[in-house]
Amino acid sequence: MKEHRSIVRTARPLSLVGPAFAWLAAGVVAAACVFIIVYIVKEGLSHVDWTFLSSDPDPSPASGEGGGVRIPIVGTAFLVFITTLLTFPIALGASVYLAEYMDERRPLTKAIRLGLEVLAGVPSAVFGMFGVAMFSHGIFTFMSSSGAEGSDVAFGRSFLVAGVVMAIHVLPFVIKAMEEAIRAVPVSYRQGAAALGVTKWRALQRVVLPAASPGIATGVILGMGLAAGDTAIVWLTLGGTMNMAVDAWWQLSSAVEVLRGTGSTLTTFIYFSSPAGEGNAPELAYAGAMVLLVLLVSLNAVATFLGRKPRSV
Amino acid sequence: MSSTESAAEAVTPAPDVDIDLTGRVKRLSESIARPALLACAVFSGAVVTLVIAYVFWYAIPVLLEQGWEFVSTGGWDISIDEAWTEPAVTFGALPLIAGTTLTTLGALLVSVALGLGCAIFIAELSPDAVRRPLEAVVQMLAGIPSVVFGLVGLSVVVPFLQGLVPADSYDVVTEVPLEGDSLLAGVIVLSFMILPFFVTVAVDALRAVPRSYTDGGLALGLSRWRSITRIQVPTAAPGLLAGAVLASARAIGEAIALSMVAGSIAFIPSLEWGLKYFPFMPARTMASAIVESGGEGMSIPLIQNAMFGLGALLLLASLSLSIIARVIVNWYGRRLSLDTGREL
Amino acid sequence: MYASKEDAVTQKSPVRPTSEADEAAHLLAELDREMIRAARSLETGTLIDVRDLEVRYGSKVVLTDVGLDIPLRQITAFIGPSGCGKSTALRCFNRMNDEIRSFSMSGRIRIGGQDIMEPKVDVTELRRQVGMVFQHPNPFPMSIHENIALAIREHTPRISRDEVDHLVEWALTKANLWNEVKDDLKRSALALSGGQQQRLCIARALAVKPTVLMLDEPCASLDPISTARIEELLLELSGEYTIIIVTHNLAQARRISDDVAFFLMGRLLEFGEARRVFEDPLRRETADYVRGVYG
Repeated sequence: MKEHRSIVRTARPLSLVGPAFAWLAAGVVAAACVFIIVYIVKEGLSHVDWTFLSSDPDPSPASGEGGGVRIPIVGTAFLVFITTLLTFPIALGASVYLAEYMDERRPLTKAIRLGLEVLAGVPSAVFGMFGVAMFSHGIFTFMSSSGAEGSDVAFGRSFLVAGVVMAIHVLPFVIKAMEEAIRAVPVSYRQGAAALGVTKWRALQRVVLPAASPGIATGVILGMGLAAGDTAIVWLTLGGTMNMAVDAWWQLSSAVEVLRGTGSTLTTFIYFSSPAGEGNAPELAYAGAMVLLVLLVSLNAVATFLGRKPRSV
Repeated sequence: MSSTESAAEAVTPAPDVDIDLTGRVKRLSESIARPALLACAVFSGAVVTLVIAYVFWYAIPVLLEQGWEFVSTGGWDISIDEAWTEPAVTFGALPLIAGTTLTTLGALLVSVALGLGCAIFIAELSPDAVRRPLEAVVQMLAGIPSVVFGLVGLSVVVPFLQGLVPADSYDVVTEVPLEGDSLLAGVIVLSFMILPFFVTVAVDALRAVPRSYTDGGLALGLSRWRSITRIQVPTAAPGLLAGAVLASARAIGEAIALSMVAGSIAFIPSLEWGLKYFPFMPARTMASAIVESGGEGMSIPLIQNAMFGLGALLLLASLSLSIIARVIVNWYGRRLSLDTGREL
Repeated sequence: MYASKEDAVTQKSPVRPTSEADEAAHLLAELDREMIRAARSLETGTLIDVRDLEVRYGSKVVLTDVGLDIPLRQITAFIGPSGCGKSTALRCFNRMNDEIRSFSMSGRIRIGGQDIMEPKVDVTELRRQVGMVFQHPNPFPMSIHENIALAIREHTPRISRDEVDHLVEWALTKANLWNEVKDDLKRSALALSGGQQQRLCIARALAVKPTVLMLDEPCASLDPISTARIEELLLELSGEYTIIIVTHNLAQARRISDDVAFFLMGRLLEFGEARRVFEDPLRRETADYVRGVYG
């Protein structure tokens, strides 16, 4: 039997189901993200004012005042600062080594790569638990206050502890971003430098790293965002208190005490204030969330700006 | 070799050229830099062994003492309460394991289905004007802190589900109250949290499939969609699988958002009352339990023991997932480079 | 095939005679080159001698049984079809192949009598003396001035700013680029045209005072006008430097080289004076290649 088929399009409605699903899925994802942001802004905006930003949290909701997020903002800044300070040099060194000096076939290389992958997969709750337990040992008393009277135990919760644990948590992600940035530098730059008799290390310093610097900065900002957005580690290692150990935290003379003391960040403030936390003041949680989102969006904007900057002089 | 020697002698030496190739500039920094960089890399790769060793060092005695019952019995919440006062308590983490497994599997199902559609859209179907903002949105979703997910879930998803709880649940399910903060709420919130991680990996995997494959399909008269689903997706399957494994590693470790929306009761959700009630059962995951009880509880040795037990289980799970993902990616990379004849 | 390509190039190139005055100028230029060649051939001597060179990448042999003497202050062209090993041979002379992990070689390469594989040889010093320019211009993403100053400072750590400026000007002048860029040395090198970038790369290599200048298909990505300028430059430089150029362009090899080495499938088939190799090749393969049978 001979069959004639026309090349003229015939309607096949079923063929539209698949693409329609893809469009729908993309729409749902976009809608979810937009919804979360709009919702937080809508609920939070009316509570964000100067008083909210400039007053400290009031953990006892009985007073009816609620309090603000000054300490949490400062706490977030402290934590991000300590984390970045600890992460940056190590991550830069490691990523340069991974991108430039590694022989991928060596067992050591494979071990380091595996270690980083496993590290990236460790849940932050486990990091937090590890941090409290580890830094409660007596020898780490210098990093937090001392624990119970007469025992050889440290309190194990402080900005320093949280910073160290957070640095370990963000390290693999920052290294990955930095390594990609360094690898993205064209081989021709390295070849050009080598052919001029410039040593590898000097070529890195003078040519490769400057060319990769926007990407490296993006990596740093990625780490800052992770540190600012994490709750589990902060909740466990910074203590569940909303205020800092020292009232006059801004004085330089109390710096050590602040670093060894407990505190809060925006994320723990949100957790504490949410209906699931003890504070149970949702409007404060929304307002805190809005401040946090503004912070993260600005960080992302900086990263995007740096990424777009043309690599010229 | 004499022939070489004689040939060498035959070379007419160049006049007035003085070549000295021994280095004159001392380069100390080079010899310091390399070991320093290596130290950074080794430290970064090795620090995880410190974490693992520490957790297992404390967890193994606990697990040995508690025995098989730690993973096969329930009663977690009561044990934690008792641990504050009692001298000795046994823990049973089965409800937490069930909670983690169910939320993870549920979220994985939703996020893979939705995420695959989204990834195909981004990689293949979307016009440029839509793709860029959408990619930005996916990135942004990945950047939203889990506590914000929890907060929105608690204010939007939970009240919505509250209205769907079967009215007779109080009479039928007597063991726990069925509320909006439930397994289903946990799954919904968790799905959107892990979705961007799956989508990112999936988009890369789809894009890595050589254009010539799908072109071949189109040339055979397959429709665009058919050549995507019949050729591109199967070729990218290992990459997609690796993405799913990574996403589930995220889901297993998620603590805060789930502790806010999933009910926070250590309970083994059961089908015995019927499918109608199942989604509304409360759940508590291992990671949530660590965050909820590990704050002040870490000072109580019994609770600390229980926490380390959970930590070890979580580590085992995330460790195996990392390794599985790596094996898949390695195998996939080899296969694709064989297929296309180029190194990846 | 190749003959026609050569015609195509000369037609577009500015040296093609279009009027009588142009023709006279062209003849003069031709005469000039002949004089330079004649003057150079008075100086004989070998700068680089290669014996029994064999190169492998992993287990794959890419060059075998190569032996040649590269004369001082002349232009030696390496020709041959793609994948014949000519670039690999070039990269042996400044040990750029060391960067490739699977690379291994045997045999001996001496520059000015010094075996470059000896442990006492400092690779960075070798690369200073044996400059190299790549197929695609690869200026660093920094200013024109910095591109050259970087290399200078690397080899003379405590050099004064004035001396650097002076050397930068000298190198740019040498590379016939100074007049075009002297007013905006602070401009990004990436903003230059392809031909200018390539001349900047040559200037960069010259700035560190090399003995040898190697060019790996330096004109492959350039238009005919830029190509002609680079060729002119190389002829000028050949009075002072030993130049080795890898090229696909037989017409180019004819125009500028004194000696030609013909590589085929990892072997050096023929090496000798350029005119002789092109006009009266000893081997059938060379004749075929020069006639354009393959390549």
